[in-house]
Amino acid sequence: MIPSEQGEPTKPPTKYRSQLRIYVDIMRVIQREGNQAKPTRILYGANLSHDRLVRYLEELKSLAVIQEIGNDDKLYSMTQKGIEFLNNFRKLESFAEAFGFRI
Amino acid sequence: MEIIAFVIAVAVAYQALKGYRLSKERTLLYLNFSFILLGAGLLIDSLSNVFVLMGGFHRGLLFLSAIGYTINFIAQFLAFGILVVAYIHQTRSVSSQATLVVLPAVTFFEHNALAELILMFLLIFISAQTGINYGVTKAKNALLVFAAFASLAVSHFFFLLFTFAPIFFPFAHIAQLFGFLLLLAMLLRVNQPQ
Repeated sequence: MIPSEQGEPTKPPTKYRSQLRIYVDIMRVIQREGNQAKPTRILYGANLSHDRLVRYLEELKSLAVIQEIGNDDKLYSMTQKGIEFLNNFRKLESFAEAFGFRI
Repeated sequence: MEIIAFVIAVAVAYQALKGYRLSKERTLLYLNFSFILLGAGLLIDSLSNVFVLMGGFHRGLLFLSAIGYTINFIAQFLAFGILVVAYIHQTRSVSSQATLVVLPAVTFFEHNALAELILMFLLIFISAQTGINYGVTKAKNALLVFAAFASLAVSHFFFLLFTFAPIFFPFAHIAQLFGFLLLLAMLLRVNQPQ
């Protein structure tokens, strides 16, 4: 928080996260957790509300980039398609960042 | 040299297009257009020079070289202008209206000092933006892009000097090629498997 001239704290400008960026954030959390992540870990790691997390996980499952594993505990892992997508995204992100652009 | 630069420009444009298809980020589309224009300009200029060379510098063919240079200038002017707009769009530091660039209704029939000066200033702006990006990220890829645009700016400085002294012509081409080779190095680094 940055104090304003009136002495009140002002919020730093919030960055808009695109749907793609949220997908990638979720997949990166799963990758970071050794390709097996619980929903709560994803929720905190990707900084999402429960409702949005459920929605995005369903969308990612329908895209076949993640899958549900485990019987008792719900766990999510990335599929081969998801791993390839994340690798391609990393390359394109590095390319854009080299020019100073964000994707 | 310009053919090599053309190939690298096409490769950068293709990578930018891939990025745009994935992210729908408009700045990457600007980058794509910019490098397509750069590549087209370089190709036309080099082909026109090849025709003049093959024709043994026949006076009737010399106008081809002038047309090639004019097209290359317009392409570079638009390409770097688009990049300037892209950087301003990204940073939103200046009103987008202030970035409107109007193509001057001037035809340059030879290496023209004013044309080179305009391109040099556009490239200095882009170099400054990419330099700031490197300052923030400290990433090697960002350094390569910054060095590439700085090298292109230097090449246009040499092209500017060439209008007064022919000795600077090879230096200008070497600096231009070096700039594109730095972009190639960045592309190879980005695409290397983890």
